[in-house]
Amino acid sequence: MARRYDSRTTIFSPEGRLYQVEYAMEAISHAGTCLGILAEDGILLAAECRSTNKLLDSAIPSEKIYRLNENMVCSVAGITSDANVLTAELRLIAQRYQFSYGEVIPCEQLVSHLCDIKQAYTQYGGKRPFGVSLLYMGWDNKYGYQLYQSDPSGNYGGWKATCIGNNFGAAISMLKQELADKPSIKLEEAKDLAVKVLSMTLDTTKLTPEKVEMATLQRVKNTTVYSVLDKPDVEKLIEKYNKLQAETEAAKKEKQAKQPKS
Amino acid sequence: METLLGIKGPDFVMLAADTTHARSIIVMKEDQNKIHKASDNLLISTTGESGDTEQFTEFISKNIALYKMRNGYDLSPRAAAHFTRKNLADYLRSRTPYQVFMFVAGYDETDGAELAFIDYLANAKSLNHAGHGYGAMFCSSIYDRYWHPNITQDEAYDIFKKCIVEIQKRLVVNLKNFNVSVVDKNGVRNLEPISAQSLTDYNASS
Amino acid sequence: MSILAYNGGCVVAMRGKDCVAIATDHRFGVQAQTISTDFKKVFHIAPRMFLGLTGLQTDILTVRDRLMFRKNLYETRENREMAPKPFSAMLSSFLYEHRFGPYFIEPVVAGLDPKTLKPFVCNMDLIGCPNEPDDFVVAGTCAEQLYGMCETLWKPDLQPDQLFEVIAQSMMNAFDRDAMSGWGATVYIIEKDKITERSLKTRMD
Repeated sequence: MARRYDSRTTIFSPEGRLYQVEYAMEAISHAGTCLGILAEDGILLAAECRSTNKLLDSAIPSEKIYRLNENMVCSVAGITSDANVLTAELRLIAQRYQFSYGEVIPCEQLVSHLCDIKQAYTQYGGKRPFGVSLLYMGWDNKYGYQLYQSDPSGNYGGWKATCIGNNFGAAISMLKQELADKPSIKLEEAKDLAVKVLSMTLDTTKLTPEKVEMATLQRVKNTTVYSVLDKPDVEKLIEKYNKLQAETEAAKKEKQAKQPKS
Repeated sequence: METLLGIKGPDFVMLAADTTHARSIIVMKEDQNKIHKASDNLLISTTGESGDTEQFTEFISKNIALYKMRNGYDLSPRAAAHFTRKNLADYLRSRTPYQVFMFVAGYDETDGAELAFIDYLANAKSLNHAGHGYGAMFCSSIYDRYWHPNITQDEAYDIFKKCIVEIQKRLVVNLKNFNVSVVDKNGVRNLEPISAQSLTDYNASS
Repeated sequence: MSILAYNGGCVVAMRGKDCVAIATDHRFGVQAQTISTDFKKVFHIAPRMFLGLTGLQTDILTVRDRLMFRKNLYETRENREMAPKPFSAMLSSFLYEHRFGPYFIEPVVAGLDPKTLKPFVCNMDLIGCPNEPDDFVVAGTCAEQLYGMCETLWKPDLQPDQLFEVIAQSMMNAFDRDAMSGWGATVYIIEKDKITERSLKTRMD
């Protein structure tokens, strides 16, 4: 049935769906997980790296997290080649704004501008949508720290914490649960939370520093400071999480042992 | 021939512009306003080639209004000045350059007051006091004598009076009347125009 | 009168021992009339690099913005700081793109290479012919006077404080003989671990 309607992006199906766009989103939900958490004193992106071959050149510092301009960083989930096109476009948009107005582009304008382009690819003939979802973290003087997410349809939204890619549904509900009783969290807590959520949602059982890329963005002395966490720092976070996990596990077992068998 | 003046204070910018519209040796009208309200906190005063002034000011104002509609917030005065200059500079190297001289004046809660001087070549500079046109030649010395960093609106208005007395005394061209507007945290306001008539009892040395 | 001398102003840069200095005057005028006395023609564009631009002020601003556009894209794409040498090459080709309708500016680049920390100074004409000497470069309405002063005062391997004295004296005594430049000056000394900015009080007439 779908075959008649999904050969072109511009055609609606009888149920009012755009299959190509949905397939693009499906492709992304198999890609490496990316999550973002908005803290009160900064913001964080964490990504799962799938290609952890020992032969890969480690000189390339980050493959899934890209700096866009002075105030913004994004991480991508989906087809990497598509993502490269989009990040190049984002950087151009940011610089064009700066050239016209002499100021750094406000975060939402950059996101919405890119989404206009993504939307066009779901409507004009002969084109396929970009198979990429993005998470953007940034700061601007209008709204402070911001976290955005955009998808292949050209939809975007602002979030306190969100996730794209593999197992994103489970991750989001975990984030929701963890942040339910807190109005805001500190960046340090956010790092722990990111490791926790990533390790729970990863397909493989063990989380290793090679599989995680983490970057933070903070405002220090009126400049935006962006830093990618070193592998040893990530390792420490993972160890901390593993220790905590083992303790709760042990406590649980102890409790079970104490309970009389019914 | 025509004259624009501008003074920036700590929390306001005041602009004055003569109201003469002349073509060659003929005065066409005596009540042309050259200070345009571009948004709630932005004034643009323009002089130069008569068609260009209207056309270019309108083009900039509408783009600033469009920005606000799209984004829900205003362009900061500094960004507006940058945008204006950039467009003027682009047109300068096109087949249809605009020959306009202007001040972009605005007030912003975070950035404070801004007075940008822009001439027809798109030379631009943020200044404390400035003038365009022949009348401005007589004013720089008056500014240097009376302007100070904590200047009030009353003092600024008085400096304009002194300038206009001098223009009307020394300049060969007859510039009878000047409109005065101010922009501050309360937005844009028009003040009492300064004319030869209103200055009859004014003592510039007081 | 040349369009390059419409607004007035001058810039000079010098090499020292493991350091470079660049200085600018403060005048912004329209022909003979001085409009402002706080226009610095030198821009801090990378941690250890400055760009000085003299000539028509509108083109100073335009070229500065256009170069920042290209430099920022380079830096985000390459994920590293732009060194003075490639920056000058980019500037040169940018200016030559406008060979038959040039920007009326004369640029000066001064900085230390981010990796080797080797001092670098360079200047160009308005269509981008580069000149990379190992002593000093000058630009602006009093370039002739600056050449004379630099030629007399500069010597190899000056320490940062000596270099400051040489560049400041060259600058002041050159532009005091020029009506289109002057009204105060700023000197930047770039060393491997710090940048010193010092403003000079000069004749204001």
